[in-house]
Amino acid sequence: MKKINLIGVTALFIFSYSVFSADYEKIADKKLFNGEIISEFKLTNGLKVIFLPRHEAKVLTFQTWFDIGSLNEKLDAKLKKTGLAHLFEHMMFRGTDKYPDGKFDEITSRIGSDKQNATTYFYRTNYYESIPSNQFKKLLELESDRMANLKLDSNILEKEKGAVVGELRRALDNPGRLAWDELNRTVYEVAPFRYTVLGTEEEIKGFTLEEAQYFYKTFYAPNNAAIIVVGDTNEAELMNLVVKFYGEMKPQEVPRYVMPEEPIQKKERKVEKTHAQATSDILLVGYRIPAVSSPDIVPISLLSTHLSTGMESRLRKALVDTGIAVGASCGVSNVPDYLEFSVSLAENHKADEALVIIDREIEKLKTQLIKKDQLERALNQELLSLYNGIEDNSSVASMLGDYLMISGNYMRGFEIIEQYKKVNPIDLKNMAKKYLKKEYRSVVVVKPQPKKSSRS
Amino acid sequence: MFRITLCLICLSGIAFGKGRISFHADPVTENGSFVGPKIFYEKNPTSLTTDISVVVMTGGIDDPIDKLGLSNLVGEMILRGTKKKNREKFQSDLERMGASLSANVSLDTIQFSGSVIKENTSKFLALLEEALLKPAFSEKDFFELKREVLNDIKHIKNSNTRLGGLAARLEMFKGTPLEKPVMGSKSTVEKITLEDIQKKYNNSFDRPKIIFAAAAPFPESDMTESFSRIWRQFPDGVKPTKRLIIPKVPEKPTLIVVHKPKTSTGSLFFAQAGITIQDPERYTLNTGNFSFGGEPLVSRLFKTIRGELGWTYAIGSSYASIGGLSNQQGLYTISSTPSMEFTSKTIFKTLEMWRSYVNEGLSSEEMDLAKDSLVNSYPFEFESAAKRVSHKLSSFLYSIPILTPEEFAEKIGAISNRKLKAALKEKQKSEGWLIALVADKDVIAKDLEEYQKEIPKEQRLTISRIYTPDELVN
Repeated sequence: MKKINLIGVTALFIFSYSVFSADYEKIADKKLFNGEIISEFKLTNGLKVIFLPRHEAKVLTFQTWFDIGSLNEKLDAKLKKTGLAHLFEHMMFRGTDKYPDGKFDEITSRIGSDKQNATTYFYRTNYYESIPSNQFKKLLELESDRMANLKLDSNILEKEKGAVVGELRRALDNPGRLAWDELNRTVYEVAPFRYTVLGTEEEIKGFTLEEAQYFYKTFYAPNNAAIIVVGDTNEAELMNLVVKFYGEMKPQEVPRYVMPEEPIQKKERKVEKTHAQATSDILLVGYRIPAVSSPDIVPISLLSTHLSTGMESRLRKALVDTGIAVGASCGVSNVPDYLEFSVSLAENHKADEALVIIDREIEKLKTQLIKKDQLERALNQELLSLYNGIEDNSSVASMLGDYLMISGNYMRGFEIIEQYKKVNPIDLKNMAKKYLKKEYRSVVVVKPQPKKSSRS
Repeated sequence: MFRITLCLICLSGIAFGKGRISFHADPVTENGSFVGPKIFYEKNPTSLTTDISVVVMTGGIDDPIDKLGLSNLVGEMILRGTKKKNREKFQSDLERMGASLSANVSLDTIQFSGSVIKENTSKFLALLEEALLKPAFSEKDFFELKREVLNDIKHIKNSNTRLGGLAARLEMFKGTPLEKPVMGSKSTVEKITLEDIQKKYNNSFDRPKIIFAAAAPFPESDMTESFSRIWRQFPDGVKPTKRLIIPKVPEKPTLIVVHKPKTSTGSLFFAQAGITIQDPERYTLNTGNFSFGGEPLVSRLFKTIRGELGWTYAIGSSYASIGGLSNQQGLYTISSTPSMEFTSKTIFKTLEMWRSYVNEGLSSEEMDLAKDSLVNSYPFEFESAAKRVSHKLSSFLYSIPILTPEEFAEKIGAISNRKLKAALKEKQKSEGWLIALVADKDVIAKDLEEYQKEIPKEQRLTISRIYTPDELVN
């Protein structure tokens, strides 16, 4: 085999142009580092379409992304609470006039769908599945039908609330989940990130059919959505089918909200909670960082890889190899924007110990340049992750959709990795000094509840 | 990302899907025999990475009962440095070249799975060779690894969903290597010494037990040459022997509770005997299970207990709940996490639905849906080179024939409800369930008492044993 030691992402070429038809506009073709071309279209009703053709197997991944999540509902004058975006995601599987409750799942299953599901987050909701490509037309018929013609039934809504309450309670039985909810509540004093995506049990049980109808009519509009297709079809077939099934949908006036301005954090915030299910401490630390569009995100992301990825990562060596923790990681969270340190302590070790070690590692980053081979390690681990992920249709579709929702630029993930090559150790040191300040951080500790006197 | 891992979850067995999907032009090839290395390879010209798997045919089933977790420690110690490179140097070299390497231990195998940026494949293979043939097995690394594994084991107490599985295993496989997960327990791992690691390595890492698999953008000859060189350096040995362990199934539904205080959901784990990967009825039982509880969104359990009743967020059933189908019979399980106030109801409703299924099988609509879905979705199992190689590997390891797409469709098409009922009657028990529930014992005891007031005494469930999480990980 070839022995090539030069590693790097090849240049990213972008061709932007507009091709008009009566029903849609082709916005751009963008060439990926591996030679593949991603095409972007926009229907006249505002629906965005992102397409990456692949023909290795006769399958394709189809995803629908809506620019709506729990942030919007909390800020919406008619709703002012969270949980409906998620509950509504469940309702999208519960039938239309043409395909009554259960039929969507039955038909998609029958045609061989794989990994079919949906998720809701602060800033978006997505629906996804992979299918044999010869079933594409049927899938588009089903997906467009539920986007335009969902039948909201109060009996079904009440039943679905039970499942969602079950989901919420399951999450609440997980100490890690409580810690994460607390972190968001602590980092944000004003912005609605401080409210959970699932909402409270009271909010879930209280949603009305009218609120669900309002939510659907307002936010599930073509001009508030994007379709991502990766796999075995071609541009002509894709756009013919998309125009046929989605072209008649009418755009809606989608309310745009101004996110309340979060006051600048001036001192460290600390919260400590107990959880009946926890048997050891959990530590989460969040440092506010800029949005994903900022150039600083590039070195910050590489910094998190240096700290967190692989057996040689700083956090693993300092916390797991020493027996203090069972797991330690650091990652960039976009929307909400913070660098999150997460440590699951081993029994008989306390969160404070881990915090001292994190502080020590951060101090090193601020005062010493990381070695060139450590930077090379971080860069190549990122490349390995990208190369492995890009081979999977679902993974690449999710990456495109997520960056589209958080930044309006579906290529942002590739751009970040492309720009890694320009990062040097001084950049990482500067980022640590600029953002990893104690006064900018929030610390959450979840501990086991103190044991009562013995009672079996 | 597709890594080469054993395809043990796919109960339909090793079969290509119906001919609606065409496969990669380069077929998976097999090389060698018992006088040479067994290699499964597929050239994937467009891949930016090389994916490699080395399988050693020994696993948790071979661990001594008082030292369960030994195979797991051996696998992990292989990754902790070589005679020439200490752990730090080894890991640093590996990660700097854009590679990852992990050890995954099952009941039957220790599998090393790696991925590397294609340009560094040669360097990666050299490092892999050194790790497999000249592991350091240092005292310091062993001490640290043992501490890490013990911490991981104790940490399981934080996971309500895992505790139910541990309790069921302990009850149904007591006194056998299956009574604990392959990771072992606190007491068994503490007993393992570095001498045990060395001895296990010496006795198990030999030619007849080692298999190679890879998907890479290079000619097959390049890879086989490297694998052959590694293989030749291992000593001769004997082929692994099979050992079948049968679970102990209760005669009637038996409830055990793992006490966690103040739970807002009950974590339910129903278990009875499962099937081996070679079971001739696996296609039939899998098809039935698809519509009974195996497939989220469309299964009978999901549609009723979540969709109609709203008692739980998740419910499903599986033949592959303790590490995937293998040479071992394993367990057939139903798992759910109902809200506490619905936990008793969910137990009884599930039992009622199971009795109906085991006696009546599926409706014609359910049967048709399962068959269509299995046949139409099966090509996803073969959508990438790594997945195709994985299936070949599993086929060899478990002596399962590879069906053509037509044969697979024919096999699924021939399944009838009559055959399903016969298979269920032969393989499953109507009443023989061990039900492990992780929940607050006082709350569930009260809830059960209340719920069972109207139920005849002989049909009532009582809590037969209460475990603490500590008991399960010790």
